[in-house]
Amino acid sequence: MQPDVERELIRKCKAGDQRFYEPLVRAYEPSGLRLALSMMGNRDDAQDALQDAFVKAFHALDRFDLKRSFGPWFFQILRNQCRDMLRSRKARFDREALDERLETRPAGQETDPERRRQKQAAQETLWEALGTVGEDHREVLVLKELQGFRYHEIAEILDIPEGTVASRLFHARKALHGTLLEMGVTYP
Amino acid sequence: MNPPITQDELMLFLDGELDPESHERVRRALEDDTELARELSIFRAMKGQFHELSFDAGDRRGSVWDRVDRKLTRPVAWVLLTGGVLAWLLYGTYLFATGPSDAWEKLATGAVVIGVLLLLGSVIAERYRASLTDPYRDVHR
Repeated sequence: MQPDVERELIRKCKAGDQRFYEPLVRAYEPSGLRLALSMMGNRDDAQDALQDAFVKAFHALDRFDLKRSFGPWFFQILRNQCRDMLRSRKARFDREALDERLETRPAGQETDPERRRQKQAAQETLWEALGTVGEDHREVLVLKELQGFRYHEIAEILDIPEGTVASRLFHARKALHGTLLEMGVTYP
Repeated sequence: MNPPITQDELMLFLDGELDPESHERVRRALEDDTELARELSIFRAMKGQFHELSFDAGDRRGSVWDRVDRKLTRPVAWVLLTGGVLAWLLYGTYLFATGPSDAWEKLATGAVVIGVLLLLGSVIAERYRASLTDPYRDVHR
């Protein structure tokens, strides 16, 4: 969504017109769902978190600074919502549930069935490893590798100094690598 | 002699977040330091794997917008409904109390209304208490 269009929509929402919130919800729903799904581990909890985060964000729009981008601000709310839900429901990251919903991007590119099977297995292993590295590591990896955020955006979402992002990513990648090694994955 | 490459710089290099000068310094260091280059290649391989990975973000329950919309609209509707009903009740009570009916008619009607409200209140309280211990409260219908 174009930044000026987004700003205009938020301005209208701030003025109390709820109809203009729909395009924002629809624009941020797919990436929000990916983030929530990777944090909550199952689709139902992810959708509950996403829905509650959108409601909270709407009520907090009065405090939203129009000079900022909506995305990182909203993802910060969503991330906090997921964390609250995980704490309150004592939910666990459900690796098996995630595995069920795996979808590989290069389907169709890989024609050799054996190669495709190997790739699929490698990706399932990656998910399994991601599920065991801990919440802090997982969320920074998801924000960087799956959502493609820049460091300053990750810092905003996680509410940490920008300089800490690189360090956190290093330890998260190290932890993931260690887990993958334990699972028998080797890298050249 | 150049200072050693830090973990943070390696991450910034990997993620393309370094300024051109620092990027060049790390690149040169990688040519001389095989261990550092190996570490980077591992991180690159993992990054590549992530890139091929994606969620099936399709939603079997439809967009969340409908539910968000309901959650945003319903509180307003409840406030309006409650406010309107209360206003009518108060006005009706006032009209009835100051009307020409006999005292026994007013007392009997008042008793009926209070009885109904007490029954309704007790049922609501009972349902509320039961919902707090309902093991299926988080299950979607």
